[in-house]
Amino acid sequence: MVNPVLLIAVPLGLAFAIPLFGFISQKLEKYIPPVAMLFNLIVSLSLIPKVLEQPIVVSIGGFPPPFCINLVAGPVGVLFSAIIALVGFLVSIYALDYIKEGATEKYHMLYLLLLTGATGVVLTGDIFNLFVFFEILCISSYALVAYLGNRAGIESAVKYLIQGAIGSSLVLIGVALLYGLFGTLNMADIARNIDSVSPISVFVPLVLLITGLGIEGAIFPLNAWLPDAHSSAPSSISAILSGIAIEVGIYAVARVIFTVFGASSIFLFLVLLGLLTLLVGEMSAFSQKNIKRLLAYSSIGQIGLIVFALGIATSYGVVGGLFQIISHSLSKALLFLAVGYMIYRTGSMDISTLDGMGKRMPFTSLAFTIGAFSLVGLPPFVGFPSKFLIVRAALAKEEVLFTVLIALVLLGTVIEGAYFFRVIQTLYFKGKRVSPNKREEAPIAALIPIGILMILIIVIGVYPRLVTDILNSAASELLNRIGYIKGVLG
Amino acid sequence: MSLELLLIIAFGGAFLTYLLGKLSSGVRNFFAVFISCALAAIVAYLYGKPSEETFYLGFLGLPLLLRLNMLSWFFAIAIAVVGALSIIFSLSYMKGREKTDFYYLMMLLVNAGMLGIVLSGDLVSFYIFWEIMSWSAFLLISYNRGPALAAGMKYIIMSIVGSVAMLIGMLSLYANYGTLSISEVAPFVASASSGYILFILIVFSIAFGIKNAVLPFHTWLPDAHSEAPSPFSAVLSGILVRMGMYGFLLFFFVIVGSKLFLGLGRDNFHYILAWIGAINIVIPTFIAMLQNDSKRLLAWHGVGQGGYMVLGVALGTSLGVTGGTFHIVNHPSYIALLFLVVGAVEYRTKGIRDLNSLGGLIKRMPITFIGALVGACGLIGLPLTNGFVSKWLIYKSLILQGHPFLAFAALIGTWGTILSLYKFLHNMFLGQLPEKYRNVEKAPFNMQFPIIILSLIIILFGILPGIPLKVINSITTSFGLESLNINIWGIASETGALNTINIFAAILAVGLIVWLIFRAGPKAAPIAQDDNYAAGAYVPKEKYHYTVDFYNPLYRMISPYLRDFIDEFYMKLARGTQKLCGGIRHVYTGDVGHYVMYIVLFLASLIFVQIKWGIW
Repeated sequence: MVNPVLLIAVPLGLAFAIPLFGFISQKLEKYIPPVAMLFNLIVSLSLIPKVLEQPIVVSIGGFPPPFCINLVAGPVGVLFSAIIALVGFLVSIYALDYIKEGATEKYHMLYLLLLTGATGVVLTGDIFNLFVFFEILCISSYALVAYLGNRAGIESAVKYLIQGAIGSSLVLIGVALLYGLFGTLNMADIARNIDSVSPISVFVPLVLLITGLGIEGAIFPLNAWLPDAHSSAPSSISAILSGIAIEVGIYAVARVIFTVFGASSIFLFLVLLGLLTLLVGEMSAFSQKNIKRLLAYSSIGQIGLIVFALGIATSYGVVGGLFQIISHSLSKALLFLAVGYMIYRTGSMDISTLDGMGKRMPFTSLAFTIGAFSLVGLPPFVGFPSKFLIVRAALAKEEVLFTVLIALVLLGTVIEGAYFFRVIQTLYFKGKRVSPNKREEAPIAALIPIGILMILIIVIGVYPRLVTDILNSAASELLNRIGYIKGVLG
Repeated sequence: MSLELLLIIAFGGAFLTYLLGKLSSGVRNFFAVFISCALAAIVAYLYGKPSEETFYLGFLGLPLLLRLNMLSWFFAIAIAVVGALSIIFSLSYMKGREKTDFYYLMMLLVNAGMLGIVLSGDLVSFYIFWEIMSWSAFLLISYNRGPALAAGMKYIIMSIVGSVAMLIGMLSLYANYGTLSISEVAPFVASASSGYILFILIVFSIAFGIKNAVLPFHTWLPDAHSEAPSPFSAVLSGILVRMGMYGFLLFFFVIVGSKLFLGLGRDNFHYILAWIGAINIVIPTFIAMLQNDSKRLLAWHGVGQGGYMVLGVALGTSLGVTGGTFHIVNHPSYIALLFLVVGAVEYRTKGIRDLNSLGGLIKRMPITFIGALVGACGLIGLPLTNGFVSKWLIYKSLILQGHPFLAFAALIGTWGTILSLYKFLHNMFLGQLPEKYRNVEKAPFNMQFPIIILSLIIILFGILPGIPLKVINSITTSFGLESLNINIWGIASETGALNTINIFAAILAVGLIVWLIFRAGPKAAPIAQDDNYAAGAYVPKEKYHYTVDFYNPLYRMISPYLRDFIDEFYMKLARGTQKLCGGIRHVYTGDVGHYVMYIVLFLASLIFVQIKWGIW
């Protein structure tokens, strides 16, 4: 069996080795991230059959939990690490050609560090360790947002930094309070003892953690950094931030609420927060003229949908939420990658400059169309089964309140459909007819990941059962606290 | 021939057509025609071979089914025939235009999606095919650029609203009964509380009403129909819109069942629906009369004719449902025909649709004119056309049921239809031929062919209505409605017999007499236009066109009452939403100080709520 530690150790080691490889050959460094992520992808996928039976718990240092730092590669962790590796791998191939200027060596190193941090967050079973990996993730993303070195990039990176730093300190205080209360940092151990203290004293660490982690998870009103950061980063980084980073934030929030605190009384609050996030995100996206900001706001909307689904907290709901995470990662990564070269060709992020792209970059435009259709939830793309599950989960509650709420959620879908379809019209039908021989397709290194994402979106959309097994057991891991505690502590 | 294979051919053929288009446009055209005709042939072959099969096991734990019965066959054949004819028509219409590969792909995809809808044996596949049809139709409506973009947006937004409603209804059924197969869910629904059935029917009625352009959901239709490429307008108005009617039939009579449906809401639900149908006939038909764009005029009739179908189906008697269902299949024959006629005229006059600037084309395009005449007669419902039979059935059932006001509304609608189609025929084909169209050629053969075929269908089903009525009768009896006594000439029953052969004979006799009288009288002599014309005043030969502002006095009289208030309301709503969205966006002020404040406030309010109310 492959040790899950390698999922963190290999990319971490390779990340720091990138400057060393730079001594051998400048060209070599950009091939390191794809190699590391391919390794992670293969390992994660090979772990899936095993973790479906029981989670793999790795104790570092040889002490049994709760006395050591441990990794818990359960279905949730492996599912997320597979998504991270997959999207990370595809985006790193895209970056081979896309990232040409600036400090490329640092780009690749930070990129790999970001993904290592994300993988660490989803695999760790220790709450302080979670904070550490979270910081790795955040700090590398602050730097990467500013990578282009222009005014907008630096400004939004600084804004992101300020808000992220506040979040980190809140998380740190929360962790410290928990340590003070329980004398342990192991999540399973805290979870086991959480009922032994008065509710009010665990409430403060809970809200600190939700707020702190919610900033990275882009929950309204903590997500104000997102539109700036996602739109001014290089498109490959936007794809990672939107497709992975905020999902990891949501994972952390969900892990804290579901497993550590078992806070079932705030589920309804989570549902409402999700709905609010969704509506604010979609409505803000509606009148956007900047394509990347539009996508960024749409990410807020999608995060709202995920939070909404997780907040339903039935197995249908959590499966739906996790499925939505998959579909959002794939679709949004695809959209950002497609848009990356469109912006590169036109030199502007204004939606109105994209007219005629259907002729100029037919494949990329097709990719954008498929990604947008998928996000809106149209069959036969991956967004449809995930939306299907979420709506079913809400209606299976058989409460009038949830019927009304899901109607409001779907209202958000209508708005989302409106602005995405407007962009699609711009790509294909707006403006004057351009002469057909004016083709400027993206380079092959970009088309390969775009093509793979398109295929995945369609294949999973048509055969959702490819992922439903792991989703079902991931959902039961999140919902079944006792099982998690037993699995870790024995 | 399994149904699965049929759909594989339909979808695979669509994509193959696109790929072949990259090789050569000739091969692509041939293949597109071949595929669409093959589909029609296969569907025709499947007549009377009911079947049900599972084509996909376990889509999120649900089996997806395909099934063929009389109802679905009936719609499938209409889809396949209209699809094939419009593809044939497209061959010259689309020649030399951009993105033709894409156009054919989408036409065939819409076709395949519609076939999928009617062949679905469960609601998930129904929804999937419904959505595929909706988005491919959106891409086709937007094809013409310019104003078509706004039309496309209007269409797709309303369409998404409809599918949202459908999704809620469908998943509510799933959450309650654990199955979505139509045959399995029907008995559950039949035993549900009437409040729940009403909820389900209202939710689905929104979805189907939007697609079927029933008031107050009709506003997307006039724009979409008039801006789409004409062959697609024929498909759109003829059959795509009628998928909503298919949905109504499916839900009212197959899933809920006729008895429950009629008794719903203390017998009032279907009655209200019938009134909506009646209003739907009157208002759009008169709005149609005011239009000067030929396609827009027809589009409004598309809305109006939908009213007849809703009216017939909502009555729920065998005569009414038969009439409504027959009207559904008659409608594509003449409305598609008229759209194709407009397309042919558009093609020859280089895109002119304005009724005020056409005229006299009868001399240049005689076959097209005959098509227009037959189509107009069908749409009006003159005897010897199929429109007469279906309208007769609807009127008859209204009178038998004792609904004089509804019958009167239907009648008024027919007046409006006559007036507006007279304008349509006259302004395009009769009167003076403008100088610039002096050299217009007749439509090419592949445009005339579908026109002729559709004209023949209209007349054939008008004289021998028994052929389709037999099929419809077996559909209505499967709904649990009383069987009608059908013969090849019409209906034989005590309450109301219809015998088209008598009508045929009478018209023949009258025609003969008229012809004899004209024969006996003095011969008419043609004289030049400026000879003793217009009371001796000089008539400028080029500019004079007396069809401009047809019905102007009438227009002045009724137009204040016929504003599309609903559309205005929606547009206001859209602008309001846009403003609201623009306002919401300013939550993100761009000032990091505010953002930090949000975070702190969020944290503080959570703690405050907990301390104050102790929620956790």
